[in-house]
Amino acid sequence: MTASTETLHLQHADHQAHADAHGWRRWLYATNHKDIGTLYLWFSFSMFMLGGTMALGIRAELFQPGLQFWHPEFFNQLTTLHGIIMVFGAIMPAFTGLANWMLPLMLGAPDMAFARMNNWSFWLLPPAAALLVISLFVPGGAPAGGWTLYPPLSIQAGMGMDLAIFAIHLLGLSSIMGSINIVTTVLNMRAPGMTLLKMPMFAWTSLVTAYLLIAVAPVLAGAVTMLLTDRHFGTHFFKAAGGGDPVLFQHIFWFFGHPEVYIMALPAFGIVSQILPTFARKPLFGYVSMVYAVCSIAILSFMVWAHHMFAVGLPATAQLFFMFMTMLIAVPTGVKVFNWIATMWQGEMTFETPMLFAIGFVCLFTVGGFSGLVLSIAPIDIQMTDTYYVVAHFHYVLVAGALFSLFGATYYWLPKWTGQMYNEKLGKLHFWWSMIWFNVTFFPMHFLGLAGMPRRIPDYPLQFTDFNSVASVGAFCFGLGQLLFLYNVINTIRGGAGRAPARPWEGAHTLEWEVASPAPHHTWEMPPDEALVKKGLRAQLLDQDHE
Amino acid sequence: MNAVAHGANRRTAIRLGLVALAMFSFGYVLAPFYDVLCRAIGLDRARPEFATAIPTALRLEFDTNVADGLPVTIETLDRVVAAKAGGLVKARFRIANTGDQPLTIRAIPSFAPVRAAGLLQKLECFCFDALKLAPHETRDVTVVLLVAKALPEELGAATLSYTLQPA
Ligand code: HEM
Ligand SMILES: [Cu+2]
Repeated sequence: MTASTETLHLQHADHQAHADAHGWRRWLYATNHKDIGTLYLWFSFSMFMLGGTMALGIRAELFQPGLQFWHPEFFNQLTTLHGIIMVFGAIMPAFTGLANWMLPLMLGAPDMAFARMNNWSFWLLPPAAALLVISLFVPGGAPAGGWTLYPPLSIQAGMGMDLAIFAIHLLGLSSIMGSINIVTTVLNMRAPGMTLLKMPMFAWTSLVTAYLLIAVAPVLAGAVTMLLTDRHFGTHFFKAAGGGDPVLFQHIFWFFGHPEVYIMALPAFGIVSQILPTFARKPLFGYVSMVYAVCSIAILSFMVWAHHMFAVGLPATAQLFFMFMTMLIAVPTGVKVFNWIATMWQGEMTFETPMLFAIGFVCLFTVGGFSGLVLSIAPIDIQMTDTYYVVAHFHYVLVAGALFSLFGATYYWLPKWTGQMYNEKLGKLHFWWSMIWFNVTFFPMHFLGLAGMPRRIPDYPLQFTDFNSVASVGAFCFGLGQLLFLYNVINTIRGGAGRAPARPWEGAHTLEWEVASPAPHHTWEMPPDEALVKKGLRAQLLDQDHE
Repeated sequence: MNAVAHGANRRTAIRLGLVALAMFSFGYVLAPFYDVLCRAIGLDRARPEFATAIPTALRLEFDTNVADGLPVTIETLDRVVAAKAGGLVKARFRIANTGDQPLTIRAIPSFAPVRAAGLLQKLECFCFDALKLAPHETRDVTVVLLVAKALPEELGAATLSYTLQPA
């Protein structure tokens, strides 16, 4: 019976597709969640390439001590833009893109709740990226005080800073609209029979992430607006000369900034929680505890921001408070890691590329979590802050964490997106290549940090040379390997390793696998019937009541 | 999509939009809010008495600890005190025996930084003698310090710490 509804459904979809715009109009006026998702993902990948090129510029300079390639000012612009572009241009839009593509499919909704707003959310991104790039060419150059935009440097900087501020306004607006869309879709448009506690984990993490964004993106917008008015309109929020306080900026920034790091981590948790059960052929272990862990991480993330500020002269009481709260976050994070491992435990595992990236994620994200715990100890952090140890920490959670999960997600859903299978050999090569060179690049940075090498410097004392050279070689190899990924994706679009069935992974039981591959332009215009939803839930052991 | 669902979506979106607006304002409120919060919980470094270029005041912070397993609590009633050059400083603590047995304890004092040594003279301290506490007794104790007439320029703050041990 389900089969017949599906055929009907597909015919209907085909019929609709003809009414849609073609050529550039299809993309500029895009309101279809799949088209918008695709736009987001390509935008994110091009930002990844741009930010990656800047990273290679940084690593080239750091290959040897002394100044070889760049003036120190330009080096600082590179580190700053690299950070801003990777965070706001590459990682965040990629997750929003995935949410756009997959949430309606996974929840059984015909589209996102607000299709036109969705178009705006995306099309604000390219102008923002353009502003950032243009800032390189204005007098004074791009902002150079670090992605965290601390005053007084950000107040004294040239007009490139203003462009960056506007870019952040646009990016923030885009995030807020995207998030409103996600929350509304998840809350109001689920298929009958799919209650909140039966949703796929990726829907849960997207929902919580969207809430976080709605709460903190406006705070960042406020902070940069205050910077702007301090720069041009005579306010003194952060200007010590007028009675303001530069440290206040840090408080406001990190009130945004720490939840932000979880905005980049939670969707990755969701993706991994989809992939691991599929390839372990076992339901996700501890589904409800996963949900609670995600929610408690989100709530706690508002109470730890000053762990980025242990060295600014906080009173001991405040240091202790933030130290303990930060350590507390490790508890729900540990619950998640435990559940992932338990999901794999005695599973019938196979190691296709998405699974490799998911397992790589679990291993390396945990390493990043541990270095985070080290940094959360205030007396230790005072030694380590602003050293390469911090750089090592956040690249373990962001590259091996967020980025690896995105690679995993791409390989996992590529058959659904394109209707073709990717080249498994190349995929595995991409994984092992990335895994090895990632560690070659970033593991030595722990040692550099422990030995006292400060971050954001273009030149360094001789004793740091060896580890820096190793890291630079690693970075260039890692970067090169990403072309393999690009090739594999394009190759898949062009036919790849042959046609993909509707359900290319036999262990996958969420709703997106019930529609054809490639997913037709319009899906679930009629919500999936309850029997179909139930069937999937039963396979995931989610059919019992949890409440 | 039918009209009912459409209305529900609109309502959700409007509510979320309002949250976003509220959070934008909240960012601005944070500026005065941090001040108020720090003053309220005594975490305030920027109090007027410390905000002078000539070091006429030393910031004294009091820290307390209890040895493992000792059923005693100690609370610092004046956590941060401005010590004026040449003045007297009095800090109060509240010690409570939470156990059912009478106890004899002693406070072991310590301080940091070392340079503060010559600047503070203890006239009276609950750490001078052992303390006998009846079961469930609560007692307020004090430390009185005489501050040196001249304070060095670079020493902004000193911490005095007391650890309660069984006597
Ligand atoms: C167990 C969990 C974690 C703990 C305990 C933790 C702790 C910390 C601490 C204490 C710092 C401040 C280091 C310093 O600047 O001196 C820090 C920095 C950072 N963390 Fe984490 N962290 C954790 C997880 C994460 C995750 C999941 C992400 C992102 C996905 C992340 C991203 C960052 C970033 C980007 C910075 C550096 C910000 C900057 O100064 O530019 N952390 N972390
Ligand atoms: Cu943080």
